[in-house]
Amino acid sequence: MENIKLKIARIEKGYSQQDLADHVGATRQTIGLIEKGKYNPSLNLCIRIAQTLDKTLNDLFWYEDKE
Amino acid sequence: MDERNKQIAYKVISIMYFLTILAMQGIVLYRQFIMGQNYNDFEDIAILMTVNSVFLISALLYFGAIPIQKLKIKSILLIYLLFVVLGSLFTYARYNIFQSPGLSVGQLIDKLIIIVSIIGMLMGFWIVLSVLGQKRAEKELE
Repeated sequence: MENIKLKIARIEKGYSQQDLADHVGATRQTIGLIEKGKYNPSLNLCIRIAQTLDKTLNDLFWYEDKE
Repeated sequence: MDERNKQIAYKVISIMYFLTILAMQGIVLYRQFIMGQNYNDFEDIAILMTVNSVFLISALLYFGAIPIQKLKIKSILLIYLLFVVLGSLFTYARYNIFQSPGLSVGQLIDKLIIIVSIIGMLMGFWIVLSVLGQKRAEKELE
């Protein structure tokens, strides 16, 4: 599932995928794949991303079940 | 190299390792049945594969890749029996199906004693490693 929340938070912060990748010690491809929902990052990477974007884990990675 | 790259690298290395072992097994079978070579001609590959498998299982046990919560005597005995049966069948096939003349019953029993002893030692080694691995994991939790 595509991670729109992460993409929006990144753009709001004015970061490109490469900028975010540099900040969290990942590659641009990894950030791209996380945003597309094709890679599940480790909790450590999630925390680094959330801290870099000044968000909580819930803000970026939590989705309510749609019933 | 980030975590995703590492994951991909580990996956590729694992697959390549598996393919290498498979290829080695293929070479052994080819040499034995197509080229009709003597066992001594490919003994080195067979030993390498055996040692490799033993170390692989040992490392998996020690580093906690095989989830063993509690060592149960029943499970240990079952695994031991399975290895003994497999080892006996393999030995019987090797000497009495693919070679002629085959071994006599007495010689087969001698081989069985060796199989039972070696597998017993191996199981003991793996049990010790499992216990050490569990202790290591618990130490990390402290």
